[in-house]
Amino acid sequence: MGYLNNSVVTVDAILTNKGRELLARGDGSFRITQFALSDDEIDYTLYNPTHPSGSAFYGQAIENMPLLEAFPETTQNLRYKLVTLPRGTAKMPVLDLGFSQVTLKQGASLAITPQTLNYLGNNQVFEANGYTATIADVRVLNTFNGVGIQTEGAVALNQTETLGTNVSSTVVGTTINMTATTVNTLFGSNTELNTTLQVIGRDSGARITIPIKITKTNA
Amino acid sequence: MSFTRLSPDDFLISADSVTAGAWTGNVPTLTSFNTSSVQVASTSGNYYLNIYQTGSTQTAAEIQFNIAFGDAAGSGSLLYDAGINGKSFTSTVYGQWQNIVLGDENNQFIFGGVTPVTQSFYAISVERSKYKGSIFPGTLALTIQSSSAGGNFDLQLTDNSNDVSTTVFNEAGRVFQIVSGSAGKAIGSGATPSDAVANGMTASGSYGLFLPDVGAIILNATALGLESSGGGVGLNTLYNSNTTDNNPAILYNAISASGNFTLNSQENITSDYVFVRAKNSQFNYSSNPSFISGSTGEVLYNNFINAPQTFVTTIGMYNDENELLAVAKLSKPLIKDFTKEALVRVKLDF
Repeated sequence: MGYLNNSVVTVDAILTNKGRELLARGDGSFRITQFALSDDEIDYTLYNPTHPSGSAFYGQAIENMPLLEAFPETTQNLRYKLVTLPRGTAKMPVLDLGFSQVTLKQGASLAITPQTLNYLGNNQVFEANGYTATIADVRVLNTFNGVGIQTEGAVALNQTETLGTNVSSTVVGTTINMTATTVNTLFGSNTELNTTLQVIGRDSGARITIPIKITKTNA
Repeated sequence: MSFTRLSPDDFLISADSVTAGAWTGNVPTLTSFNTSSVQVASTSGNYYLNIYQTGSTQTAAEIQFNIAFGDAAGSGSLLYDAGINGKSFTSTVYGQWQNIVLGDENNQFIFGGVTPVTQSFYAISVERSKYKGSIFPGTLALTIQSSSAGGNFDLQLTDNSNDVSTTVFNEAGRVFQIVSGSAGKAIGSGATPSDAVANGMTASGSYGLFLPDVGAIILNATALGLESSGGGVGLNTLYNSNTTDNNPAILYNAISASGNFTLNSQENITSDYVFVRAKNSQFNYSSNPSFISGSTGEVLYNNFINAPQTFVTTIGMYNDENELLAVAKLSKPLIKDFTKEALVRVKLDF
């Protein structure tokens, strides 16, 4: 008979940039109410279900790997969340934007309505809490907003004007609207601008990233 | 279903007191004392003297504390206006500390029950970053060396926090008397001058006031000026009118000669503990791209359908708007499947 291991794993948390911002506001907006887990850094191809020593060793290569420290940059953490799904799930939720890439002419508009496949027993479904969309370089768009989600946070996020150079912008909605920039100077001597759009299901945690290309049409 | 709500039972707030050496590098005892000629020559040099742990021009130099001299009559420094007596740098310092410690411009400093006729003192202000939240009572050990004709004599000063059963408060928070002794206790009656008002004190009262909550030490200039037989070190404080007497430098020399100034800092660190509980049925699948094969979402291995295994590396703390406020990384991946539950205590320091 041996002693049971009753230890509790204790880890120190750091505040993210967003956490510092909300804490600095001092208006009570820094309020932790929920948590999520992720397996960032894990490569499941290292999992070996044919390990000759048996199932206890399937994940050996992963369990012993060293991990990096947390990043304060909000967008670089919890990129791949763990999700709670019924046992027997054969397919993971994946997002379908209807586009594998987007090419827009200057001034052209596009509305993207994401759907989630293989989620909650449905082949395809619109998530109730909508989708978070992040454009990596907000300069390439004249407008970028989300519609369809009216929570206080989503409305505030959609109304936030992002200033600066080469910064990202995030919106929330069931439909994401965008209009390509009409500013010529951004192109320089190039004929196109390139960036990425990342969309995450707010319920499922599924994510997809597609390239965005803006082509120059104005002389 | 990536987010799990926390219940009130999952939160715990704990305030822990942390003590450390007060000086640069968390060293408890300062043995080397240096000043800056640039600071002495500047406007601030009229009021106080900055003390560094090393030469002030060295890159590692940091201000440890400063010494000011205050006198109610304005003696010991130039007058602001030669035609107006009593208004000088030293009277400014006196009024400043009178406001902080006594709170009333009509009150006088009282040291160990004695009100000095000459209302003057040395004020040692420890740098805020050094004492952090407050000075830890009972750790003060300040040696002042006399250089009288009769030979050098070291006076060991400490606070009397371990002698008193009831803490006294004034406008600056807790206040203790500075006495001759060590480790927060005064010396006995046998070593105390016979005319002293109490053990470890002098006929002029205590050696000063120890104010841990504002990181300051007020030294009684009158007591320090007594000869060794009276419990002092014969500190030659000058009281010339409309003259730069540089009294802070006099105390600096007496402290520097001894090479011993010990203090511990004290800081209350409030920690927010969040207990993260992952139940057996939760978090057993992953949105990690390597968890699936192809673009249609099939799990990577067939045995992941009924016996999936995930590896927790990161815990994110969110608000109601799904904004990531804090993040914690595990030191190694934590395996999770339908047969396991995980309990992780996440610590947030403020």
